[in-house]
Amino acid sequence: MIQTEPLALRVRDVAPLSPTLKRVVLEAADGGPLPTTQPGAHLSLALPCEHGAHHNSYSIVSGCHDRAAYELIVRRTATSRGGSRFIHEALGIGRVLQSSAPNSQFSLQSRARRHLLIGGGVGITPLLSFLRELRGRGGHLEMHHFAGVAEVPVFEALLEPFASADVHVHAGRAGFDPLPLLERQPLGTHLYCCGPAVLMNIVQQGAIAAGWPPTSVHSESFAAAGGDPFVVRLARTGGEIAVGEHESMLEALENAGLPVPSLCRGGACGECLTAVLEGAPDHRDHVLSDGEKAEGRLVMPCVSRAKTPFLTLDL
Amino acid sequence: MPEPTIKSRPVYARLSRDPGGRRHLLVADAPDAALRGLASETTIDDFDERWTIVSNSRAIPSPEAGAAEQSFRSVQHLLLALHRRLAEERMGLRLYAVGAEPFLWSVHAVADDFGMSRREIHLCAAAVAARRVFCNHCRTISEGVTRTIFACHGCKAPLLVRDHFSRRLNAFAGVQADAEAPGDLPDIEDLPETGDLHA
Repeated sequence: MIQTEPLALRVRDVAPLSPTLKRVVLEAADGGPLPTTQPGAHLSLALPCEHGAHHNSYSIVSGCHDRAAYELIVRRTATSRGGSRFIHEALGIGRVLQSSAPNSQFSLQSRARRHLLIGGGVGITPLLSFLRELRGRGGHLEMHHFAGVAEVPVFEALLEPFASADVHVHAGRAGFDPLPLLERQPLGTHLYCCGPAVLMNIVQQGAIAAGWPPTSVHSESFAAAGGDPFVVRLARTGGEIAVGEHESMLEALENAGLPVPSLCRGGACGECLTAVLEGAPDHRDHVLSDGEKAEGRLVMPCVSRAKTPFLTLDL
Repeated sequence: MPEPTIKSRPVYARLSRDPGGRRHLLVADAPDAALRGLASETTIDDFDERWTIVSNSRAIPSPEAGAAEQSFRSVQHLLLALHRRLAEERMGLRLYAVGAEPFLWSVHAVADDFGMSRREIHLCAAAVAARRVFCNHCRTISEGVTRTIFACHGCKAPLLVRDHFSRRLNAFAGVQADAEAPGDLPDIEDLPETGDLHA
């Protein structure tokens, strides 16, 4: 897996799109060109908080050949652990943030003859970069985006550059049955879904019901952060680290000065794989097989937590 | 001496209905091929539609769309119909092919053109002695090759039939056997059968 040096990014612009959505434009702090990205790529930004830093992943919505700036759209979440709140309340023009290099776990499939994009809310962000790419190459697509009634104009404006008969914004997903939509897709269609868990679940269930093979269904979830607090015991280095309600196990380890190699921070890439010696992990990743999850000897600390009060790791 | 089976050779399996699919189309290159290629406890009725090559000039496919049984005169006749069919098909189809290896990969090529993935295509190869061999020197494909060494049907080069099967070309690779020392040829040997479904 390609892993390049972290980036220092300076905020060129930050502007509200709606009461809870902000567009953030970042440029290289040294003024140079940024690494090229891929459609669907994201950045993991280190956002300062009381105990150190939260690392939040945000999809890049600007074009992948735009090396002057990266553009993100950030939703302020009600249950923010501090990351999106920091961006919405404290982040100003000129501020420099540490970031991972762009990294992609969600990409357009080169063999697809047609692309079906289904998004919900701020889950539009990776789909915007897919749309830009597909419009550029004249790919066959159909997009359905679901938004709360109040935000429909915001998403319509974001989709305006790509507007056509094949791009639809729906006010609310009440009554949305994905089955007819999935059943009428021609052979060779690939599905990409990003949005709230409820939407992704009904779409995935619909795809199974319509006979789609799992290899044609792609989704990206927002990292499931937070849950009951627990304590990590370190078998090799000794000591205990408390994992709070609003932080991930990976962040708690990092903030305690024990960096675990990581990339996507969303349970998708497998980079932070860590061995479990005692305790029962609460698996929330998409990497381990069902068998491995049941066995409980491995864990992805970026998203997974513990079912037991203690989790002993081979660290 | 034919090389031992190499890892890149396709692996086939007897056919059973893929529970993930919603519509199931089975194509067979001979009337008895389909029955012989079914897994135990699988019956022909597990497939909504059965298309069979009967090698008979009187075979006329039913004009009724979605008919359970369709007969075709030849491989080309069936492949043309498959092309027209897949152009209209929707996600949820599973395609099954049973017969000689060249037939399977001709079917596979049509399905691949329509973006079907490996998870949507199931192949079962009947054991046959004859192979299609691609000449690495003149690109002619020789049909019905049962021996190595043989003279390429195009450039007449004495070809050694490698065990390397190309899914894209739908043929085994043939290379000139005496390229290093002209005239110095190994003994001619019968090729083992390909496919793993023995009658």
